[in-house]
Amino acid sequence: MRVLLVARDEVLRLLSTRRGLLALLGFLLIWAAVLNYGILPAARFFTGASESGLSELVLPRLGLSEWQHWPAPALAVYWVVSLYLLPLMALITSADQTASERSRGTLRFLVLRCSRLEIFIGRFAGQCVIMGLVILATLASVLIVILAQSPVQFAASLAHSPVILINLVLLVLPYIALMAWVSVMARSARQATLYAVIIWLGVSLLVGFLQSRLGGLTILDWALPGSQVSQLLRLSGWQTLTLAPIPVIHTVVLLLIGGFLMGRRDL
Amino acid sequence: MIIQCRQLSKRYGSKNALDSISLALPAGDAIALIGPNGAGKSTLISVLCGFIGKSAGEVTVLGKEPGARTLIGQVAALPQDAQLDPRLGVGRQLRFLARLQGMSARDARLDVQRVLQTVDLADAEHSKPADLSHGMRKRIAIAQALLGSPRLILLDEPTAGIDPPNAKMIRELIREQSHSTTFVVSSHNLDELERLCATVVYLEQGRLVSVGPVMDDDAHGFVTLRLINTPEAEFVEAARALPGILSVSRITQGDYRIETTDDMLASVLLLQLLADRGWRYRQLSRGKSLEERLYGS
Repeated sequence: MRVLLVARDEVLRLLSTRRGLLALLGFLLIWAAVLNYGILPAARFFTGASESGLSELVLPRLGLSEWQHWPAPALAVYWVVSLYLLPLMALITSADQTASERSRGTLRFLVLRCSRLEIFIGRFAGQCVIMGLVILATLASVLIVILAQSPVQFAASLAHSPVILINLVLLVLPYIALMAWVSVMARSARQATLYAVIIWLGVSLLVGFLQSRLGGLTILDWALPGSQVSQLLRLSGWQTLTLAPIPVIHTVVLLLIGGFLMGRRDL
Repeated sequence: MIIQCRQLSKRYGSKNALDSISLALPAGDAIALIGPNGAGKSTLISVLCGFIGKSAGEVTVLGKEPGARTLIGQVAALPQDAQLDPRLGVGRQLRFLARLQGMSARDARLDVQRVLQTVDLADAEHSKPADLSHGMRKRIAIAQALLGSPRLILLDEPTAGIDPPNAKMIRELIREQSHSTTFVVSSHNLDELERLCATVVYLEQGRLVSVGPVMDDDAHGFVTLRLINTPEAEFVEAARALPGILSVSRITQGDYRIETTDDMLASVLLLQLLADRGWRYRQLSRGKSLEERLYGS
């Protein structure tokens, strides 16, 4: 119950502050630009390339080997763009889950009324809801464009949407969990982002070092959040959910670390 | 016991913020927590609230470990320098805190109105903390501590940096609420604590120096007198000549500590002396002041 209250507060906080509303407006403008100048022209290009047979040559080289299974070129391009853009968006929006509350002392008011773990999980859940809504909004915008262009493709795209939604939500979960963890250690969103970059680079270097020294440790390829993205590009439809355990495991591990630190950190 | 500590210690690196503190404080009258800067007052309050963990020893609040779920709604606090989010409405934030305490949406709304009225800031419900003065923000922070019906409220320097009218209001509020709630108040203002509290806990360099009643047990042996524009030498000489007066010593400009065999008789004689000479006084009190007892010679 308290987790839900904290999560709801996290969502309402975004909608109640000027900073939150400006962030939303900024994202809407960026997304409109991405849609108008990125996704749609690319979709038109690939449609033309498909007719000329160019697609078979170009798209697999870009990693999108299963592109022909997508019901609409715009949806396929949306899929590729989202796989790279949404994690970035998640890192930026979820950087300040508990950091500024700690430095301001507001967290002290909360821990008198609910457990630290409830605050930690509640803030994480709230950010998941926010990113879920962002994904839903971006997906809806692409579907509207497809509907305007081809009602036939729209029906198939709509049927395809749940699996895209699930995949994209799963994709951003570990990034939000990573920011939940670093937010526990930081005193501001900026510091949290810096910590996330340090951790990311540190793990990347460590993985590279271990693989070069020990060799054959292919399991380390999956160590970082988003490591399944290159595989996802080669799959389509419900096949993509075969990779779902990877972000789920990442999320659980990152939440365990963050939750442990949240319980021990002085406020 | 509402608070119990046994050999409680808190270390930051090599520094002992709290050093083997053992005390047991009963529920009831307000408790003063005093000591110089760095004595460990805020650290002790933070440990009692569960904001920071202990390094050693045992501590219980209302018989439970600090931070226990069963203490939700039972223990409230005004942590030092803690602030609500300056960007969000006061009422919205207080309602959220009330909901976390387990109140329904309706009860939370009503209780927020109640506590804001208690701190005389009913009009501030729709304001943002950033738009309020320091004193008003402090009163809002105290209002959050009054949500529900906590059995224990810990206030860390509630009147620090507050103007006299607001400080007076906070003192009156504590006095009014003291019949149903036990307050632990940390402050540097000893006059304030002397008037509000019945028990005083004195810390110094993380160590417990003393725990005892604010009222001096040896009150009968001393009278503290504060005079206005009275010739010092003349007064001391005249007072020493009174029967039952053992010694008269100046504490500060205009303040005198008078040792006597019978404080009641001495008080009457001193007042008679002041009336006869036309000297005016501001305050006459039995026993030594708290400041005198703690820091006096």
